[in-house]
Amino acid sequence: MQLWQAMLIGLFAYLGRNQVPWLFGTTGGFYGVGRPLVAGLIIGIILNDVQAGILAGVAVQAIFIGQIVPGGALPSDLNLAAYIGIPLAIVAGGNADMAVALAVPLGALGVALHNLTMTVNAMWAHRADKYAAEGDARQVRISNLLGTLIPFIERFGIVTLTLYLGAGFAESVISSLPQFVLDFLAVGGKMLAALGFAVLLNQIVTERWMVSLFVLGWVVMASFGLTTTALLLIAIAVALLFVKATFGNNKAGLVGNDEITIKGGDDDDEYEE
Amino acid sequence: MTNTKNNDSRKLTKKDVSTAAWRWMFFHHCAQNYERMQGAAYAHTLSGGLEKLYGDDKKGLSEALTRNLVFFNTEPQIGSIVPGISLALEEDYALNPDNNDTEIMASTKNALMGPLAGIGDSLLVGTLNPILLSIGIGMSEGGSPIGAIFFLVSWLAIVVPMKYFLFIKGYDLGLDAVKLISNERLKNMITSSLTIVGLIVIGGVASMTVKAPIKLAFQSGKMTISIQEIFDKIMPSLLPLIVTLVSYKLINKRKWSANKVLVGILVFAALMVALKVM
Repeated sequence: MQLWQAMLIGLFAYLGRNQVPWLFGTTGGFYGVGRPLVAGLIIGIILNDVQAGILAGVAVQAIFIGQIVPGGALPSDLNLAAYIGIPLAIVAGGNADMAVALAVPLGALGVALHNLTMTVNAMWAHRADKYAAEGDARQVRISNLLGTLIPFIERFGIVTLTLYLGAGFAESVISSLPQFVLDFLAVGGKMLAALGFAVLLNQIVTERWMVSLFVLGWVVMASFGLTTTALLLIAIAVALLFVKATFGNNKAGLVGNDEITIKGGDDDDEYEE
Repeated sequence: MTNTKNNDSRKLTKKDVSTAAWRWMFFHHCAQNYERMQGAAYAHTLSGGLEKLYGDDKKGLSEALTRNLVFFNTEPQIGSIVPGISLALEEDYALNPDNNDTEIMASTKNALMGPLAGIGDSLLVGTLNPILLSIGIGMSEGGSPIGAIFFLVSWLAIVVPMKYFLFIKGYDLGLDAVKLISNERLKNMITSSLTIVGLIVIGGVASMTVKAPIKLAFQSGKMTISIQEIFDKIMPSLLPLIVTLVSYKLINKRKWSANKVLVGILVFAALMVALKVM
């Protein structure tokens, strides 16, 4: 891998990280180019093999599809998983299975990095405190902006160096893997997608009967070989039927009932008087 | 408490509010850290408005900045309504400090950030994002870039305007925005429809993505009986469905962690390969 390629991938890894403002905050960053599917496309373009990039992106994405980030605590760092796993697999001549095999341990390793950055980054909040006390709004803004510095050094630095120095090593490891391991990776890599969808199911399903909708989508797709768009339209129709049946046409209820009160359930509500 | 909005009780212009909305849009996670989470970003977002409201009153500005630097954490995309509300409350307070107090600002933030984090994480990040990703995966199955592009474009087209709109709405409505957020009926309607669409589409895409092909075949005379063909006659991709549902059951019922299921699947795969079944 050329140095410029490693650096460019490192730059996008940073852009897809959590504390990055440049692409509409987390919307285009962490939840946009940080997703392995998009990472696959970007890496594919940089390494001049879009198809391999996308295939690896799809495979890695499927495993991590159910992941949300409650309170900033990452279960697995899919950004590092994608931005190191996918390019290493591609330059080493491996396929999507290899990207998955690299991505899973990298995801675990990334969590440690993420936690380190999230801890160290508190220093900018303290810098902001100091300037807030002086009434300096501009420096408060600058303090917040500087918060993206450590994530940049961490992500750009580690991804670029790993790719540039590790490509040769990864290639030699992958090319020397015995057939049994390759078979295992091929089977395990494709089966691991089951985990991603299971986590997602667990997250979306609130009532048990809803699992049948997942099975419905699965069976219809597997049996009739529809396009995703066709399935989407069927799904929308089912959703409309459900909403119609459950909520009817009665618009009156749309005017809310206040469940959240600004008291917030805590015991001091003196301000109400 | 007076939070009624008369036009003459306003000092911030549309542009000031818009600037604040864009600041939240871009900088909401810059200095994210475990101690304050989005605290610094919150102060950053409101700082322009506060500067204008307090003018030369350094002490007032300092207090306002400091009270907005405290711990704040929500799902920043749906939660963008909260700094919007705060901006309106800060304006009320700055213009009329006798009839307003700072406590209501703090308690509003604290009361809203939890529920909105819940809604945002489950609806937006936990459902809408995976639905669009699933459609993208479906479109990109053969290695075509269309799916990845579709995901990125549709996600940005939905969320960026929504994030901006919610901030402005929060400012316009002030405390009344709480009613909008607590509209259970609307929330249930959106949740149910997204959930249903999501589960069906995700089920379909999962059927294309999860694979467990069986190599094992029996030789009886001249006839080869492939186990995979038998499975296919019952239902195409039956085994992957079983693996997925069993994984779900283990997570949901047995409370297995994702990592435990991961190891479980890999052990199962290793076993199948070793026995030459797969």
